[in-house]
Amino acid sequence: MSRMGMCVWVMLALVLAGSAGRASGSGFLANGPLPPVPVPADNPQTDAKIRLGRALYFEPRLSADNTISCATCHNPKTGWANITPTDTGIGKQVGDRNSGTIVNSAYMQFQFWDGRAGSLEEQALGPIHNPIEMGETLDNVVRKLNAIPGYRDMFQDVFGTDATTDGIAKAIAAFERTIVSGPSPYSRYLAGDREAMSPAAVRGQALFNGKGHCSACHSGPLFSDQGFHNLGVGMQVASPNPGRQKVTNKPGDLGRYKTPTLLNVAVTAPFLHDGSEKTLLDVMMFYNRGGVPNPNLDPQMLPLALTKKEMQDLVAFMEALTGTYPVMEAPPLPPDSPASAETGKGGAL
Amino acid sequence: MTRTRMLLMMGIVAMSGAMLPQSGEAIPAFARKYGYNCTMCHSSFPRLNDYGERYRQNAYQLPGRENEEKTVLEGPPPFAVRLSGGYTSYSAQNSPDIQEQEEFLMNGVDVLSSGLLAPNIGYFVTLLPQIDESRGVEAQDGTLESGNVMFSNLGSPWLNVRVGRMEPASSAFSVKRKLSITPYEVYSFGAPGVATLADTQDGIEATGHGRGLAYAVGYLNGSENNRADDAPQDVYARASVVLGAGEGQTAGQRLGVIGYLGQTRPGTDEADGTGDRQDLSRVGFDASLNAMHSNLALQYLVGEDDQLLWGTTEDVEFSGGFAELSVMPCTWIVGFGRFDWVDTPSDIDQDITRWTGGARYYFVDNLALHVEYSHRRQHQPDAPVATEDFAAARLDLAF
Ligand code: HEC
Ligand code: HEC
Repeated sequence: MSRMGMCVWVMLALVLAGSAGRASGSGFLANGPLPPVPVPADNPQTDAKIRLGRALYFEPRLSADNTISCATCHNPKTGWANITPTDTGIGKQVGDRNSGTIVNSAYMQFQFWDGRAGSLEEQALGPIHNPIEMGETLDNVVRKLNAIPGYRDMFQDVFGTDATTDGIAKAIAAFERTIVSGPSPYSRYLAGDREAMSPAAVRGQALFNGKGHCSACHSGPLFSDQGFHNLGVGMQVASPNPGRQKVTNKPGDLGRYKTPTLLNVAVTAPFLHDGSEKTLLDVMMFYNRGGVPNPNLDPQMLPLALTKKEMQDLVAFMEALTGTYPVMEAPPLPPDSPASAETGKGGAL
Repeated sequence: MTRTRMLLMMGIVAMSGAMLPQSGEAIPAFARKYGYNCTMCHSSFPRLNDYGERYRQNAYQLPGRENEEKTVLEGPPPFAVRLSGGYTSYSAQNSPDIQEQEEFLMNGVDVLSSGLLAPNIGYFVTLLPQIDESRGVEAQDGTLESGNVMFSNLGSPWLNVRVGRMEPASSAFSVKRKLSITPYEVYSFGAPGVATLADTQDGIEATGHGRGLAYAVGYLNGSENNRADDAPQDVYARASVVLGAGEGQTAGQRLGVIGYLGQTRPGTDEADGTGDRQDLSRVGFDASLNAMHSNLALQYLVGEDDQLLWGTTEDVEFSGGFAELSVMPCTWIVGFGRFDWVDTPSDIDQDITRWTGGARYYFVDNLALHVEYSHRRQHQPDAPVATEDFAAARLDLAF
């Protein structure tokens, strides 16, 4: 053998030795660790504001019949999301959307499945005056809060004014910015702890970034491209929910919904915007079929030919994205002023 | 050291640099650009999956995400190398060709570059450096195997134009991205010097796709036997439909038809043919069927070459095709078996049959161990049947 040929063979052998074993999840740096939470310049984080926001978050008096708080649907005990497919608001009315987790919402450019709110501040007031969520008017909420001495003091302390809609929104948003996820098996794996993820999760990571095409949309540290896609969810009916189109009025946005983060997704069953899939394995079977055919289906949706085992590996990977997140009880809420009868009872959930 | 050896050396050094420290990083040009694994676009490299096929049809832009793409100047250097080599055993009986060969061989080096020049303008270049034969290294003609620019979405996905050197209508079965080393016999069969579907050609191609339908029409220089001052005369058209979701690569059932009309000059002179230009034609039907992690690829082709191209008294009509079953139970292994045949009229009597079987085992996304065995028989007029046995075990690497 010529010296040249020899060299080639030695090199090839080295390569072989170096790569013994199959692909151990390729490092897609794009899904790196979470950056610091972005905070808007006009709403800096302060301890007092966060405390006020936390009280408001657990406050049922923000609703028309004083029974529903943000925490009713985004319950800290169930991953800051709800465990029913869609939500039940005041008077037991049922909505048509699955409540996402608010963990890491602080990182999202758009709020809600159709992205109709841009910031957490903009979002926070929505549920309060949504007739089937908390069903209250904003004016009335402001009046109710200002009738509660404890709240009036807190608002004065934080904003130097009585309660205002702007103050409510800012305080709740500031609180939500503290609800972000901490280390997960995946983040420890990324940091170099090769034992942190199970072999199944490691295989799942390779599939996530390859055969499954998942990282085409679930990209970046949040596992979301912050974009909107039509997977065909709910598109099998005659006049489907327009999704993103309702916000933009563009025909191309029909049936598109925001790519949700997959951090902590394993604790927020059921899944998809209408809560139509119960388990992550069900979601994988949905993807394996290529979604639901419809004229506006995203061209990145294709049947995947995944085996059962490969789908289980993907689920194992998503389970490894579960990080720690704050778990808390409702704080003591300021009692009603004895003078005011209309505000109903205060107290915990 | 010759230049080619230098190049080889450099390639290998780069390869070991890239591969050794972190095993399992799959990184050819596109994968590098997006941070994806190869299996995003390849079911078993080099074969494309449905996502990869859409990516290719979309001028190397992720489907539906044209607005988010970066150009070649904004991303990492868009280069990749493919290298293969291993043990080859070849023996031929009753053949004018080389009789026996058994050795370790470096068999091929491709340098690829591809990417986006501007939104909706992609390019693809494959360069084969010239390699001199030496013991252990197979000779390779230096050539620009492909080099084309694609303008996509000209008003709609129904009009995309590719210009340059490319595979004609390769969405049937690409000869460059097939699993086996051995060729699709029917694509290469024809009068001496005739090129139709066997290799890349120069020209212009318009394609379009949507709702499971796709078409391609092209206008090409045609065979080498044409002279430099011969105007291009070759045209082809292909139409296909996919039933079910997918592109027919690993999902959906794809059915297609293809027609090719061309002209060339008879003769096998080195540079040009001699005599007047003569007609040739090909008409074919193909199917790519997918079920249960398997793909069945079927091609049937009928060809007609003018009698003057073969030196026969009648035009030569032949037919042939192949049927290939490949099974891919998971991402790291694929097995394949194929039967190729060509039926020829008795006055040329060159019937071919070929059985090929093989497997590719992927250590990592971009490094495969390829094993293949193939047995070929070809009739020869007035001589015993020529047989060939080919076996190879190679490493196929792309980075
Ligand atoms: C009746 C149940 C209900 C109540 C009460 C409720 N939400 Fe929601 N929330 C939902 C649902 C359902 C969605 C998803 C709706 C959509 O995307 O269209 C949602 C979405 C959100 C989102 C966006 C999550 C994302 O990923 O886009 C945030 C943030 C949020 N809610 C915060 C709040 C806050 C703050 C409150 C209290 C002021 C609140 N919610 C009260 C049901 C509720
Ligand atoms: C075309 C972009 C796209 C691709 C590819 C994609 N996703 Fe999604 N994913 C989305 C969107 C958009 C949603 C929300 C869809 C809806 O509810 O209508 C979603 C929802 C999900 C959900 C439910 C999350 C929740 O909170 O309800 C999971 C889990 C998920 N995707 C995982 C995956 C996995 C795993 C893959 C790869 C097999 C994948 N996705 C591929 C865009 C995509």
